[in-house]
Amino acid sequence: MRTDRLTLLLLILPGAGFIFLFLAAAIAMTVLQSVGLYSLVGESKLTFEHWFSLADRTFVDSFLFSLKVGVGSAFGTLVFSYPLALFLRRRRYGTQLIGSIIKIPLFVPALVAAFLILNVLAFHGILNSTLLGLGIIDRPLRMLNDKFGWNVLIIQIWKNLPFQLLILAATLESIQTDIEDAARNLGASPWRVIRHIILPLSAPGILIAVVLVFILTFGDYAITKVAGPVYPSSLSVLMYTEAFTLQQWGSAACIGVVITFASLLFVAIYARAARAVAEIGQ
Amino acid sequence: MTDMALAIPPPHIRRRIGLKGFLVGLSVALLLVWTAVPLFMAVMWSLVNPDDPWSPPAVLPPSFSLAQWEYVFTFSEIGKAIVTSFVLAPVVTILSFILSLPTAYAIGRLSFRGKEALRLLILLPIVLPAMVIAMFLSRTFYAFGLAQTFLGLVLGHTLLSMPYMLRILATAFEAIPQDVIDAARNLGAGRLELVRHILVPMVLPGLMAGSVFTFITSLEEFNLTFVIGTPTFQTIPTVLFDYLGYHFVRTNAAVVSIVLMVPSIALLLIAERYLKTEYLSSAFGKL
Repeated sequence: MRTDRLTLLLLILPGAGFIFLFLAAAIAMTVLQSVGLYSLVGESKLTFEHWFSLADRTFVDSFLFSLKVGVGSAFGTLVFSYPLALFLRRRRYGTQLIGSIIKIPLFVPALVAAFLILNVLAFHGILNSTLLGLGIIDRPLRMLNDKFGWNVLIIQIWKNLPFQLLILAATLESIQTDIEDAARNLGASPWRVIRHIILPLSAPGILIAVVLVFILTFGDYAITKVAGPVYPSSLSVLMYTEAFTLQQWGSAACIGVVITFASLLFVAIYARAARAVAEIGQ
Repeated sequence: MTDMALAIPPPHIRRRIGLKGFLVGLSVALLLVWTAVPLFMAVMWSLVNPDDPWSPPAVLPPSFSLAQWEYVFTFSEIGKAIVTSFVLAPVVTILSFILSLPTAYAIGRLSFRGKEALRLLILLPIVLPAMVIAMFLSRTFYAFGLAQTFLGLVLGHTLLSMPYMLRILATAFEAIPQDVIDAARNLGAGRLELVRHILVPMVLPGLMAGSVFTFITSLEEFNLTFVIGTPTFQTIPTVLFDYLGYHFVRTNAAVVSIVLMVPSIALLLIAERYLKTEYLSSAFGKL
């Protein structure tokens, strides 16, 4: 159906125009302030000093920490979500129930998820009590605000597992079963079917699931602030501190640009993978 | 007797069901521990009796009381925050619907160049780092006098939650088979009848799912409210953040967590029949 351009524009404008306007405003402000323009306090002039000021230990440590949390959450979740998605793929009795239970954390707000897991991992929390009671450890383990960020990883995995599962389930569903059946008829073992048929065909879906969780965790503020180590902080926490505690909006803007462009890069990867999934589905 | 005999499978099948049943049972148990134990702990912490503290070796609090709830509702901003959250979320949902409807129709039913790019654009508010958007949108809002205002919160929340409405509605529009529309046209249905008898009923489940997600996203939004709204406006998540950060009191945080979580889960249970997998996957990042 062809529609004339003006009608089309009028239809698209309310939703997409709104998003474009506000996103453009936010991103433009980030980029401009990172080079010293439009700084609402103090003088505005084009300068790259904020960018040079980034080259210090704190920024590098935060960048590495965010990278670690992003990659760790993405693959840490995948370790659980992919086998689960494979298991839930064939309707057996019980799969429906498992499917419903596993979805719950999807609807638990991030901050609540952080609190819930903190409770479990606390020094006197249920995990330590159980391990002590079973005699596995003789002293409670310190798991909160640890330097590595284990608890941040566990919170993110808890929160993102159903999210990845949903994406993977949709991908696995789009793989036609006749290829798999043919392989089984020709005598392939279940393991070989998974390795040589399902895994390659679901690769773009896996990529999407991994990339999306990476993007969502790489730029996280709230969970890292609440549960993460005091040092290093995540990039978003560092950005917030620079802006509101140190009043260094220029440096904060530079960090903002770094986070945004890293995310955009991964959005591009995701978009290509999504196109590949659509092609497999057809 | 014959029924009974038929119901018991021969031994070799019984053993397989036994093993599978065991594995399924084990995974259900593990998942219950994985998801339900943290939730259960929060409920327990919110019911701790301050005169009878809950200390390590005890698996459950020795006695229960509502004292924590009384304390939080008396001495914190939670009451005002609940009002703000529940005024904000419906306003944001309605605004998102009005803005989304024409655009979702265009994406779902019309073919035009640049549609893929458009789909990507309306995904961006979900996937771009929320804290960056919040902080630098707030700088723009300061310039226009929108920071620390209710209107600013409405606009910001709409930006972050409208993508769900847009994407799910577009999926719903897309799912209407062209044959149905053609058939109705051939049978002489006018424009109004087409909308009333075909478009509306077929898009309604998508609208419900989209509204639920938009509503919940607004309810749970933290970063933007924290930067643009506080301290003038508190919502439930910002109150919770306060209890988790500067004034960490586990029992109080438990109460606020439950206040924040229960409406979302209740809404999703009520709306569950609308939440088809296709909507869920379109909401969460299928392009």
